[in-house]
Amino acid sequence: MRVFLRIFRENFVIFVLLALLVLFSIIYPQKFWSPVNISAIFRQFLRLSLFALGPTMVVTTGSMDLTYVGIWMLGGVLTWYLHPKLGSLAILVYPLLGLATGLLTGLVQVKAKIPSFILTLSVTVSYWGLTAWLSGGYPRMVRGYRFITTSLSPYVPTALVLAIPIMAAAIFIMKGTKVGTYLYAIGSNEEGAELSGIDTRKYKVLAFTLSGLFTGVGLIILFPLLGGAAPTELRLGNLVEPLIAIVLGGTPLVGGSGGPEKTLLGALTFAVIQRGLGLAFLRPELVNLLLGFIVLGAIFVGTRKLKGMIVT
Amino acid sequence: MKVTFVAWFRKNVSVVSSLAATVLIILVFQAMNPAFLSYNGLRALIYAMSYFLIVACGLTFVIMMGSFDFSVVSLLKLSALFCVVFMDRYGLLVIPLAISLTTAFGFLNGLLVAKFHVPSFMATLGVSIVVEGIVLYFSKGKLFLTYNEAFRALAIKEIFGLPAIFYWAMGIWVLSVFLALYTPFGRKTYAVGSNLVAAELSGVNIVFHRTLVFTLSGLYAGVAGVLYMAQLGGGSVQLGSDLSVPLFASIVAGGTALTGGVGGPHRTLLGVIIITWTQTGLQMMAIGRDIQMVIFGIVAIILAAATVDRKKIRMVK
Amino acid sequence: MASEKIPLLELKGVNKTFNGVVRALIDVNICLYPGEILGIVGENGAGKSTLMKILAGVLPPDSGEMYFFGTKVPFPRNPREAASRGIALVPQEKGVIPHLKVYQFLMLGNEDCFSSFGRLKIGEMRKTAEKILSELNIECDTNTYMYELPLPVQKLVEIAKAILTIRVRCKDTRITPVVILDEPTAPLAVEHRKHLFEFMTKAKEHTSFVFVSHIIPEILGFADRIYVLRDGRVVVSHNLREEKLSEEDIFREIVGRSSSEFLKRRESVTRETPWRVLLSVRNLSKRGSYYNVSFDLHEGECLGLFGTAGSGKAEIIKTLAGIMDFDEGEIVFDGRPLKKGEPPYARLKRGIGYFSGETGKELFLNWSIARNLSILNLEKVIGLGGVILNSKKEEEIAEKVMKTLKIKAPSPRAECYSLSGGNKQKVSVGKWMERKPRLLLLEDPTIGIDVGAREDIYEALLEMKKNGISMVLVSDDPKEYVLLCDRILYIKGGRIEKTVTPEELEKILREE
Repeated sequence: MRVFLRIFRENFVIFVLLALLVLFSIIYPQKFWSPVNISAIFRQFLRLSLFALGPTMVVTTGSMDLTYVGIWMLGGVLTWYLHPKLGSLAILVYPLLGLATGLLTGLVQVKAKIPSFILTLSVTVSYWGLTAWLSGGYPRMVRGYRFITTSLSPYVPTALVLAIPIMAAAIFIMKGTKVGTYLYAIGSNEEGAELSGIDTRKYKVLAFTLSGLFTGVGLIILFPLLGGAAPTELRLGNLVEPLIAIVLGGTPLVGGSGGPEKTLLGALTFAVIQRGLGLAFLRPELVNLLLGFIVLGAIFVGTRKLKGMIVT
Repeated sequence: MKVTFVAWFRKNVSVVSSLAATVLIILVFQAMNPAFLSYNGLRALIYAMSYFLIVACGLTFVIMMGSFDFSVVSLLKLSALFCVVFMDRYGLLVIPLAISLTTAFGFLNGLLVAKFHVPSFMATLGVSIVVEGIVLYFSKGKLFLTYNEAFRALAIKEIFGLPAIFYWAMGIWVLSVFLALYTPFGRKTYAVGSNLVAAELSGVNIVFHRTLVFTLSGLYAGVAGVLYMAQLGGGSVQLGSDLSVPLFASIVAGGTALTGGVGGPHRTLLGVIIITWTQTGLQMMAIGRDIQMVIFGIVAIILAAATVDRKKIRMVK
Repeated sequence: MASEKIPLLELKGVNKTFNGVVRALIDVNICLYPGEILGIVGENGAGKSTLMKILAGVLPPDSGEMYFFGTKVPFPRNPREAASRGIALVPQEKGVIPHLKVYQFLMLGNEDCFSSFGRLKIGEMRKTAEKILSELNIECDTNTYMYELPLPVQKLVEIAKAILTIRVRCKDTRITPVVILDEPTAPLAVEHRKHLFEFMTKAKEHTSFVFVSHIIPEILGFADRIYVLRDGRVVVSHNLREEKLSEEDIFREIVGRSSSEFLKRRESVTRETPWRVLLSVRNLSKRGSYYNVSFDLHEGECLGLFGTAGSGKAEIIKTLAGIMDFDEGEIVFDGRPLKKGEPPYARLKRGIGYFSGETGKELFLNWSIARNLSILNLEKVIGLGGVILNSKKEEEIAEKVMKTLKIKAPSPRAECYSLSGGNKQKVSVGKWMERKPRLLLLEDPTIGIDVGAREDIYEALLEMKKNGISMVLVSDDPKEYVLLCDRILYIKGGRIEKTVTPEELEKILREE
C-alpha cells in the first residue's frame, strides 16, 4: 500500500495526464483525436519541452534559468542577420549563443552570487533590447529551414524525430553520467556535495552552460517550427510556460529531484491542457485567463513541497 | 580626523555612490543636451519619475524583507487600464475599485508567500500571469482613451508650476519613509529581511507581516496605476511592459540589497532619479527603448552584484 | 608501548586564526596510531571541528607540520587529496545528500572509477556498494533514497562512504584508513548510539577512528586515547587503556576548573508563600523525540531539563517556545492551554520568551545595540501618537542595559557585527532582561563564549530569577544546571527518568 502511494505521489503527473486524456476524449469524442489536433498537441509539446529541457538541469541544482526566451529572441534576429552571408549554416548561431549565454550567466552567478532568477531575467531583458534594436522592432522572417518542419511520412513529423535525440541526451546526462549525479547532489544538499569533494561552483556553471546549450540546440528545431521568426516583444507567457512544464512534471524548484523525463511528461500534460481548452469554443482571451489560473494553480501545487524551509 | 572620514565613507559608501551617480547623470545629460534641465525638460523628468517612484516605494518594502514582487508591473497595468476601460460606466468610482482590486491581488501574493510558502518570485510570477490574463480579457488588446477632465487633473493639474502627480509621488514617498524609519511596522519589516528566525523569535508575527507588506505593495501599484493613467490619458495592454527591470534596477541602485534588511524607501528616491532620468535623458537624445533595455539589463546585474550581502548568504541559488 | 610504534599520522605546531582575530588553534600537537580510536574532547568552540577540518583538507592551517609514517608531508589541500593519503571526514551534519540513492551517495565524488566514456556503470556501482555494506555489516538496500533511511543507518552509510573513498583514492595498501567522525552522535537517539560504538569497535581492526565529541561518557566508554582541547590548545592527553579516569576528571580538564567552584556562589531562594504553578505539562509526546513528558513549573522557579545531546531535551524546550509542534498531550500556561501549532509570537504575547545562545537566532547583526534591544520592547519606545519610535528612549534603554550587563561597546548605536561573541550574547540577554517575560526558556544560553562573559550572563539570569521570572533551562554544560536551577528533570531517551536537586545532580556527575 505504501509502495503504491509512493508510486502515485512520485508519478502524479502521469495520472493527471491519463485523466485529462480520458476527460477530453469524452468531451470531444471526434475532435480530440483528430490528426489536426494530435499534431497541434505535438507541436505544443515540442515547444514546451525543448524550451524546458535545459532549464530543468539548472532547476535540479536549485537555481533558476530564464535565459531561454532571450536566446530565442536574440538568436532569431542574428540568424536573420547572418542568413544572407552564411546560408543555412546561420542557424548554428543558436547553439553558439546558447552555449555562450549559459557559460556567462553561470560564471556571473557563481562569482557575483546574484540570485539566478534576477540575473537570468536581466539577461533576457538585455537580449530583448538587443533584438529590438537589431531587428528594428519587427519580427524578421527567415525562410529556408522548411525541411525541418515537413513530415518524413504522413504520420511522422520530422521535428519530433529530430527532437528525440536531444531529449535522450538530456535524460542520459542527468541519469547516466556523474554530471547528472552531481547536479542532483548540489540541489539536494550543496554543502554536503562540497564535503564530498565536488567542486560545486564548477558544476553549477556547467549546469547553466548545458542549459544554454540544450536551449540553443532545441531552437534549431523550434525556430522554423514556430514560424521562422522570433518575437521582438517579451511575452510573460513565453517566459512562464516552460517553467510550468518543469513544475508540473515534478521537478521541485528547490532542486534535488525530478529531471528531464519528468519535464517531458509535464510538457505533454500542459500541451494537452492547452489544446483541450483551445478546442472549446471560448473567446481566446478567456482561454488565456483560464490558463493563467491553471498556471497559478500549478505553481501553488508544485511548490508546496517547499513548506518548512525559509523561502524568500 | 582622516580615519573617521574613511570610516564614515566606508559606512556610507552606497549613499555616496548613489549621490555621485545622480550628480554625474545630471551633468552628463546637461552637457550633451542643454534642454535637460530646462523647465520643459524638468517637467518631462518629473513625469517620468513620479508614478515610477510610487511603485518603487511599494516594491522597496518587499525587497527590504528579502522577497521579490514580480507582479507590481502587471498590477500597475491592471489598475491603469481598469480606470480607462470602465471610466464611462462607473465614473470616478473606478479609482477606489481599481486600487482595491490591486490590493486584493497583493494580498493574494502575500498569502501565497507567507502562508503557503511558495517562493516569492514564483508566486508573484503566477499572479502576474493571471493579472495579465484579466487585463487582456477586459481590454481585448484595444487602445482606450479617457477624456474625463476631473480624472486627468489628478496627475496633470499644475500646482506652483509643477504637475499634481509630483506632489502625490512626493507625499507617498515621505509617508513611506516615515513608515519605514519611524514606526514599528518599518522596524519589523527590516527585522524580517535582516534575520527571519530572529524576527520570529522576537515576537514578529511573520505570516501576518509578510502578507501585509505584499498587500501594501499591491496598494502602491494600484495608486501608481491610477495616477499613471491620469497622466497618460490612455493606453493598451502594451503599457509598462518593459518596466520590471528598470524598476528593480532603481531599487538596488538606491542601495536596497536583494538580500534584504538594508536600504529603504528613503534610498529608493535616489535610485529612481538615477534610472528614470537616465531613461528620459536617453530619450531626449533619441536613443531608443531597445538600447535602454540592454543598458538597464546590464546595470541591474551589476548593481545586484554590488549590493548583495555576501556575508549573509553562503549558498546562492 | 604505544610510543614505540611509529605514529600513522602526526600533527605538530598547528595554528589557525580566523579573520585575523579569533585564534581557533594554538600550537596543537597530536598523533594517531594505526588501529585505534582516538577521542578529541572539548567544549563548543574549543577548536575541535577546526582541527578536524584541517586534517581532512577542508581548511588550510596558518602554520604547522604534518608527518605521515614519520616523513614530513604537506597538508592536504582538499578532501580528495586527504583521501588519497587515507584520511576521510564524516561531517557533523549536512554530510548526507538526501535525494541520492544509497549507491549513488556511496560513490559520490568517485564516479570516475565506475564509468566508461562518461557513462556510469550502474550495475558495477551497486555491486561495489553492496559489497562494502555487507563487509561492514550495514543492512540496507542500495536502491533506496538516503532520506528514506533511519538516521543511525545514514550515519553508518556515511562511515562506509568514507572508508570506500579512501580505498578508491589511496593506492597504498600499507595504510590503515583514518575516518574522522565529527560529533557523530549528535543527531542520534540514545538507543542508537550503542550500535554505532559497537560498529566502530569492530571496525577498529582495519580502520583508525578519530572521534570528536563533547559528550564525555561516550568517549570514556570506548576510546583508546583522548586529547582534551581547551580554547584552541591541547591541555592534556590520556591513554585510557592505562589510566582510570572518571567523568569528573575529564570534565574538570575541559572547563579548566572544578565545577564545585560554582556551587559556592549559588544562592538558595527561599519563599514563605507556596509557589503557584505557572506552567503545567501533561503527557506531552512528539514521535521520535520525547514521550509522556509531564511536569509543573512554579512561579520564580528555574527548572532544568538535563540529558545528553539527543535525549529530547532540546525538542521539549522548542515545543514550549512554539518552534516545534507536539503530537499529543497538553500544556497549560497560567491557567489557559497553549494551542497546537501556535507560532512563537503568540507564545511571546502570553509571556513565554525563548532565549537561545545562538546569536544567529537572537540578533540582527547589522543593527545597532539599541535597535536590537528595542525590537522586543517596541511598546516601550513608542512615543508620539502611539506610532512613532522614539530613538532617544531607545538609547536610554540601551545605555541602562549596557551598564548593568557591562557590555563593552563604543556607544548604543554601535553595530552588533563589531562586538565580540560574549558582548553579542549579553545584548541578547539584555533584550530579555528588558522585556521581562513571565517564563523564559533558555537553550544553551552561554554557548561558545568566554568565561568572563559567562559569569556576567549568569548573574543577569539569576537577577531575573530573583525578580520572579520563571525559567526552563536546556544546556550542554552540566555546571549551568547546578548554578541556575532549583530542580532538574533527568531525561534519558526522550523520557523523564527522575527529578533531582542540583546537589544530587552534581553527585551523579561525580559518580558516573
